[in-house]
Amino acid sequence: MIIEIALLCGLVLFSVAAVFFRDLLRAAICLAVASLLLGIIFFRMKAPYIGAFEISVVAGLITVLFITTIALTKTGGDVRESKAASWIFPLFFVAFLILDFLVMKSLMGKIPAVEGTPDQGTFGEVLWKMRTFDLVGQIGIIFAGVLAVLALFRKRDKE
Amino acid sequence: MSSTWLFYMAFAAVLVFIGLYCLLSMRNLIKLFIGIEVISKGVSLALVATGFAKKNILVAQALAVTFIVIEVSVVATALAIIINTYRHTGSLDVRRLTKLKG
Repeated sequence: MIIEIALLCGLVLFSVAAVFFRDLLRAAICLAVASLLLGIIFFRMKAPYIGAFEISVVAGLITVLFITTIALTKTGGDVRESKAASWIFPLFFVAFLILDFLVMKSLMGKIPAVEGTPDQGTFGEVLWKMRTFDLVGQIGIIFAGVLAVLALFRKRDKE
Repeated sequence: MSSTWLFYMAFAAVLVFIGLYCLLSMRNLIKLFIGIEVISKGVSLALVATGFAKKNILVAQALAVTFIVIEVSVVATALAIIINTYRHTGSLDVRRLTKLKG
């Protein structure tokens, strides 16, 4: 459990760093490290497929997309953020942590531990047989994303 | 298993809080999108942790795969919109978007 706590604390720390680093490239790399830690947490939860997906797609592909965007918008990165936001954050963060702890402590034992029926079969069987409609939706979303990117980057006709 | 589930939920809530704070306080468009990514990490942690606690990890993984596919599509589209916005306004400042023409 200690390793899980360390990984989750690292995840939170790198997420905070990603939000508050002024340099966008460093922020994107912190986000990738956070994804990597989340992937390791998934592996430790005995969810290897989603762990591998998280590390390859979110830590890999999305970071590449972020870095490409940062490179294409190089000169626009000097947006002045309000200084108050970074000063007030620790206050809000500690207040939220206390609130979070109190809420979770009050919920302890009150939520009935309804045991779901344990999964049977393999991940492939569950994905193909139980969640078939999800796969159709995923294909639709991928096509929608591709069409949206093509529409946004199409060459304008000469007037 | 309830305490384990609440433990992971507490961390998921912290991630969602960090992302929401970023969305409310930052002005850089890419930073705002990093906030959305942090929120999505919290959501995927909540999904998989629920499956882990209820011993339904395979269904949780299938749902999380769907979630990640949606996330990638959203990221690709949103980053394309950010690049187009940058070409129009010459800045990544979200306040420039209040000065739209037409």
